[in-house]
Amino acid sequence: MNTPTAVAAPSAQASATASAPDAARRKSSPAQSMLVTGNQAVAWGARLARPQVCPVYPITPQTPVLEQLTEFQADGEFDAEIITPESEHSVMSACIPASLAGVRVFTATASQGLLLMHELLHYASGARAPIVMANINRTVASPWAFWPDQTDSLAQRDTGWIQLYVESAQEALDSVIQCFRVAETVLVPAMINLDAFYVSHAMEAVDIPASADVDAYLPPFAPPHKLDTAKVESWGNVVSQEMFYRHRQAIEESMARVPQLLAEADRAWRERFGRGWGVVERYRCDGASAVVVTMGSMCGTARDAVDAMRADGHAVGLVKLRLFRPLPAEALRAALAGVRDAIVLDRNHSPGLGGILHQELKSALYGMAGAPRVHGLLAGVGGVNVPPRKIVEFVQAARERDPQPESVWVR
Amino acid sequence: MNGPIPPIWTTGTTEAIRTGTWRAAIPRHVQAPSPCRQACPVNGDIATWIGLARERDFRGAFDALAQHNPFPAIAGRICHHPCEAACNRVGHDGALSICKLERFVGDAAISQGWAFDRPAVERTETVAIVGGGPAGLSAAYQLRRLGYAVTLYEARGELGGLMRHGIPSYRLSREVLDAEIARIVALGVDVRFNESPMTPDAWSALRSRHDAVFVATGAQKQKRLPGLDYAKPWVVDGAAWLAAANAGAPPKLGRRLVIIGGGSAALDAARSARRAGHEVTILSLEARAQMPAQHEEVDEAREEGIALRDAAMLVRATEDGDAVRLECTRVSFVPGAKRGQFTVAPVDGSTFAIHADAIVTSIGQDPDLAALPALPADGALVAVDAKQATPDGSTWAGGDVASMARFVTDAIGQGKRAAYAIDAALRARAGEPERVPGHRIGPPLALPRDEQVPLAAIATHYYAPQPRAADRKLDAVARLSSADEVQLGLDIEQALAETTRCFSCGTCIRCDTCVVVCPDLAVRRVDGGYQVLGDWCKGCGLCVKECPTGSMDMVDEAR
Amino acid sequence: MIKIDVPQEAMLCSGHAACPGCIAALSVRHILATMGPDTMAVIPPSCMAIIAGPQPMSSLKIPVYQPTLESSAAAASGLRRALDAQGKRDTQVLVLAGDGGTYDIGFQCLSSAAERNEDFLYICLDNEGYMNTGAQKSSSTPHFARTGSTPAGKTTRKKNLAEIMAAHGVPYVATASASHLKDLIAKVEKAKSIRGTRILTVLIPCLDGWGVPDDMGLTAARYAVESGAFPLFEIEDGTRYTLNVAQKTRPVSDYLALQRRYRGMAAQDVATLQGEIDAAWAKLVARSNEGRHEAIAVG
Repeated sequence: MNTPTAVAAPSAQASATASAPDAARRKSSPAQSMLVTGNQAVAWGARLARPQVCPVYPITPQTPVLEQLTEFQADGEFDAEIITPESEHSVMSACIPASLAGVRVFTATASQGLLLMHELLHYASGARAPIVMANINRTVASPWAFWPDQTDSLAQRDTGWIQLYVESAQEALDSVIQCFRVAETVLVPAMINLDAFYVSHAMEAVDIPASADVDAYLPPFAPPHKLDTAKVESWGNVVSQEMFYRHRQAIEESMARVPQLLAEADRAWRERFGRGWGVVERYRCDGASAVVVTMGSMCGTARDAVDAMRADGHAVGLVKLRLFRPLPAEALRAALAGVRDAIVLDRNHSPGLGGILHQELKSALYGMAGAPRVHGLLAGVGGVNVPPRKIVEFVQAARERDPQPESVWVR
Repeated sequence: MNGPIPPIWTTGTTEAIRTGTWRAAIPRHVQAPSPCRQACPVNGDIATWIGLARERDFRGAFDALAQHNPFPAIAGRICHHPCEAACNRVGHDGALSICKLERFVGDAAISQGWAFDRPAVERTETVAIVGGGPAGLSAAYQLRRLGYAVTLYEARGELGGLMRHGIPSYRLSREVLDAEIARIVALGVDVRFNESPMTPDAWSALRSRHDAVFVATGAQKQKRLPGLDYAKPWVVDGAAWLAAANAGAPPKLGRRLVIIGGGSAALDAARSARRAGHEVTILSLEARAQMPAQHEEVDEAREEGIALRDAAMLVRATEDGDAVRLECTRVSFVPGAKRGQFTVAPVDGSTFAIHADAIVTSIGQDPDLAALPALPADGALVAVDAKQATPDGSTWAGGDVASMARFVTDAIGQGKRAAYAIDAALRARAGEPERVPGHRIGPPLALPRDEQVPLAAIATHYYAPQPRAADRKLDAVARLSSADEVQLGLDIEQALAETTRCFSCGTCIRCDTCVVVCPDLAVRRVDGGYQVLGDWCKGCGLCVKECPTGSMDMVDEAR
Repeated sequence: MIKIDVPQEAMLCSGHAACPGCIAALSVRHILATMGPDTMAVIPPSCMAIIAGPQPMSSLKIPVYQPTLESSAAAASGLRRALDAQGKRDTQVLVLAGDGGTYDIGFQCLSSAAERNEDFLYICLDNEGYMNTGAQKSSSTPHFARTGSTPAGKTTRKKNLAEIMAAHGVPYVATASASHLKDLIAKVEKAKSIRGTRILTVLIPCLDGWGVPDDMGLTAARYAVESGAFPLFEIEDGTRYTLNVAQKTRPVSDYLALQRRYRGMAAQDVATLQGEIDAAWAKLVARSNEGRHEAIAVG
């Protein structure tokens, strides 16, 4: 039979000692290097960020994140309240008021789960709840498939979430912590996207920072407003047209600060931990006349293709878009200044539009004097393998023809 | 440039929104007359004194009762209690036992020795009262409390009038009667026994000695059946017989008596005769349900072994050997427009005969107008207006001498009414303003309303069905062997339980229901009562609908 | 005595936007006063969300979070755990949801939260339909009731939420009505003292949606209880039943006659409904008697 104490047991331990996060209670962990998957790295990032509430629901290929967190908790290394509701919808529903109550909230999902959350994604950003969520990019049904594809998260680009696309397990870990710092500064939720399997399940050596260093990097969450019986403030009442309009403006103003804040957060991270990831990364772009523009795991293969082309004497580089929302238009324009051809590799598909990054980039560059020719290639849709030699072919082909207004299917 | 971003977190309460502008009507607290009060011959504030008794404030209950009636213990025994017939609880689960509750409070006052307060200010005017029965004593009491000097002329040697000479002790104990009369006399009434200043000389002397006169000499003249020979030893006047019986010396008559009459006096005569050892038959023109006597009296008489031949008329009485043969016929009795008026139609072929040793007639009494030469008559009565004033302007009359409403409490009410009228007249003569009726107990903002509270205005669901307090009576056998009171009072548990049955129609009991049921928190407690907050009241009327006492109503608002 | 002793501290403010005579506002007024200031409310879209006030004003003197319609129990779970994480275990989380948000769209997450025995009091303000959108049927709408989406009367019965939730084995499930205010307050008090998922369904006659005059909301609620159409009972730990108003004292036709939503109902349908109510009542009586026998056996 269910008894009240049965439920109270896990959290009773947590709250027995203090009414607020207490340094003495916090388990510390040393810096270490470990061979972990992208999912495990995400879990490590979450553990080090010390969220207090963590609702999660299992879905391939995100499940290892959940399992790693519950394992951490079972080992006494992770004292968040883990909630295991019946759906991702309820996960995000639980995340929002928990965040509004003034605690740090983390969760992870993928694909259908993210889509099920869609309504709540809008709700979270409207509520200015700085939740951080990892999304493992996976094809969206139907038909059913389990392959890397970013359509799931890109379809959420209007929900008001900061979106980062990461390339590796290390970047995933670092991004979780950086995202909390940025999100909690501007009170906008953030989503870290990693491609299914290529990143989520690929194992690599990852530097796990010391918990004390992360504690020093990431200040406690202290929002100016919160659900608190001592403050008696409410959130969610019906507003007027004027109030709604102003509220959206305020979100936009906060979003506009994100590229700069992420750059600062990344710089601080680099100072403390010796590595950084930037907002938009230029890889071997000096003097490049053609540049591959892409996001996520595709960047890894693109690096190999760029290296190969540079080795062959071609002035080709890579622009890795790490921050997709807000779209850092200024940074993209700067990164692509003087480039003749920008070749966009989209691992997503918006029917009737084509590649989403393709369209986003075109809009970012519109009206730019000497803007590059933008070639949109639907290259990795459905998780098809795009090896470096294919990228080389795509770049060569693109340079030799005029860009099409629409995205082009390529294999 | 945009102004400051409006808060998405709340900064204030909805109290800034005046939802009162929505409504078209607003509830108000009212003080409205209860049906019992409107039926009460003394206009007693019944809901108020029962409410005080419910709070165990019996002294407060007595004071509220005595404001209108100085005889709660007497009325609590013999009042015909029209209040109970009018009681809204009749439509729920039976009338409240108001009369018995009044007796309880009255008995408490006697046993505690509670006295009336003397008037705060003594006035210079003097009022003469002629007749020491219920009307005269009631007037004397009210006038003394208002500060007038009162001289009471009583033709007999004792006060009480009909209450003493007409009502047997098994219905009204003499201790109770004496105590309630003594309490009035103790207010400083100058009583002149064995004086009846109604001769022309005495009358004019009386008028010159006093500023006002109230005549309440009662109805002393026995009505007689025209076909009956009252010279026969076996024909007896009921009132005389009863007065003698009440004085402890009933005249000796044969074993079998027939009492003719259907009123309380006839019943009293019958029951006293039964106690004196007679076999008694009552012959009543009225059918049982029409008899002017109270139903309880008839029931009790039957329990005591008295035979009742109702809807029957004596046709002829003849001597038949040692006995008297009464030839009777069944009749159909149709009451007239006024009390005392009626028509009877014999039922064909329904004659029957009764054998008896004597006949006692108890068919009513009239005032002896011949003894009141100074006062204009209206038929068999002294003529008075609605305020008990006779046409001469400085004489008032009440009780049986001026009314066919022959109940003791009617007389008490008329005495009160006359006293108030005398007060008003004497104050007017002295150039003083009219007396404002005493402030009634209730919420300060409650408005007096004349309209009576109907049952529909009572939220009856607050009152779980609870049977009326059971009447307790002396066992019928025990009654015949003693002079003890037949009707017994309520014990305190019964009385308190009975007080909780009262709907308090039109009298706020401060139950907070109006506060508690308001969805808009727009009724609040204020000192001693309640206030409707017009800023927020939306006029839904829930407080009115749910008021357990009918003490609220809605009034339209023009906007 | 009639005098009603209720918690006095006003936790609901005047000036709210409820319709005149609204029983939801009245019920919530007393629920909030009983819960006291150390409480947070979760109020999904519903009449109550409108009553809670137009931004930036609130009619509740406690913090309110308004979630999406379907997510109250999940939101309450998240809020609860955030409070727990902050050591605020004594702060109560109170859901005030409508029947649409409970029986229908919010049912999935409610079931899930109940399975987890999340520590909050979930109150369903059950007005038996989507009244805030102008009276359409929900799965709480009773048999034969007319709504905007069942203009000829609903052809199926009201979902038995209390039984379903009790089957989750939660510590406390009860029904209540503002017409029986002492009982309502006692149940809120009792629920407040228990940890785990507590579910209280409060019948809210909707004046507009049911077709009841402004001053008759409590009368309709009372008739619902007295007729057995809405019995007042408690189920503790999913097994122990208590019938709080143990007698049916009026036929359902009395209750139906008060409401326009049952206008023109055929006599045969009234008889059918009476039969359904009688059968449900008999089941409740039997279950509450089972509990008594057990208690006697144990005692």
